[in-house]
Amino acid sequence: MLELRIAGRDFGQPVLGEVFATIDRGDRICLLGPSGIGKTTLLNAIAGLDKSVPDEAVIGRDKLRVGYLFQEHRLLPWRTLHANLRLVGAKADEAERLLGQVGLSGYGHYLPDQLSLGMARRAALARCLAVKPDLLLLDEPFASLDPVMAGELKALIAGILDSHPDMAMICVTHDGGDAEILANRLWYLDGKPARLQWDDAICEPGLIDGLLGRLRDLDLTGS
Amino acid sequence: MKGRAGRPPLWSYWVVLPSFVLLWGLIAWLLQSPLLPTPLNVLDTLIRESATGELWHHLGATLGRVVVAFILAMIIGTAIGIVMGRSPTTNALFDPLLVLLLNLPALVTIILMYVWFGLVEVAAVMAVVINKVPNVAVTVREGARSLDFRLEEMATVYEFTRWQRLREVWVPQLFPYLMAATRGGLALIWKIVLVVELLGRSSGVGFQLHMAFQVFDVAAILAYSLAFIAVVQLIELAILQPLERRSSRWRQPEAAHA
Repeated sequence: MLELRIAGRDFGQPVLGEVFATIDRGDRICLLGPSGIGKTTLLNAIAGLDKSVPDEAVIGRDKLRVGYLFQEHRLLPWRTLHANLRLVGAKADEAERLLGQVGLSGYGHYLPDQLSLGMARRAALARCLAVKPDLLLLDEPFASLDPVMAGELKALIAGILDSHPDMAMICVTHDGGDAEILANRLWYLDGKPARLQWDDAICEPGLIDGLLGRLRDLDLTGS
Repeated sequence: MKGRAGRPPLWSYWVVLPSFVLLWGLIAWLLQSPLLPTPLNVLDTLIRESATGELWHHLGATLGRVVVAFILAMIIGTAIGIVMGRSPTTNALFDPLLVLLLNLPALVTIILMYVWFGLVEVAAVMAVVINKVPNVAVTVREGARSLDFRLEEMATVYEFTRWQRLREVWVPQLFPYLMAATRGGLALIWKIVLVVELLGRSSGVGFQLHMAFQVFDVAAILAYSLAFIAVVQLIELAILQPLERRSSRWRQPEAAHA
């Protein structure tokens, strides 16, 4: 569905090295790696936000609908949740349904900044779903949430993935525990410049423990 | 909001302005000179001019020019400002011209327009627009430079159309700058319009001031000036302030959680 042939990305000094990978429907990738290694940079390159990464480096993106959950909610603060969803193409009843799905029934007329961090992030997740994405990009979706809210959001995302078997996901995180719940494939980004050190499919529940164990032994997770 | 330099309390207007009128009346009464009429003389002139319909005719003419020039200047200035704020190349091209225009006296533009295009309405309005566009462009450029790149990225990912980007993402962020340009614009434009009318039109407050000046009719000069100040204040109170309140409601939303 998507083929990455990214040659690299410099910000004065090289940050990202060559990244070659293919992503198929139903792939649920957790992108792990130390802080500041370039995980978000890679995600932005895949999303087409990085103008210095040519379009040819991400083959197949122009045919995909992409939903991107940024670290901040990035909803338009002057528009209600309902209007924010309508803006990306959801019909009125669809917007209500999606807000209900993320646990925000009845909050359609609220402004994003009237919500708590966790609620605003769920609203932003509803917007991701409003575009009926083929590819869902999540940038540290559980960062700065308290453990209860993070757990709820994790369960919510897992449920969404289950009900959309054709959707692919890339989730940036530096917590291996997220991968155990969400991922069927693990990317590990490290090095200077950063490359994918691991691109493993997680086939059996036991395998991921082994992988995470190896990461912990190497003390590379950076969390 | 600290009371230090913000809007003064309402009572100050009700104390200072009447005191000023009293002082003016006192001085005028003491001098007994036709060159300084009393407030009552001015009011008398105002009522007389209003009754003949002269006042409304000339106020209307001036207001029409102000509105047309204002709308044109805002549209052109906003477009130039956005492009300059977003594109370094355009900024490099236009910035020297802006500096030139910002320092060009209004009077020079007015004279040149009248010389080149004749004493016609289009020349009059053009002169005002040319004077105002650089101010709007500079103000809006500041706003365009401070547009939030995170929302730009969001708009790119979610494939906003050009129109959606302008209407939903840019204008709300530019709104404070547009309001600043509007405020400054209105104050500047109506003063320039008076000069334009004085120099080359046969209607409007500026034209009437010119007539009054020829016969040293100070009461008429003050009557027309005060009438137009009132009109501008009315626009501020009836249009600009409600607009500003309406459009900045989202800024301090009450928290729904807690």
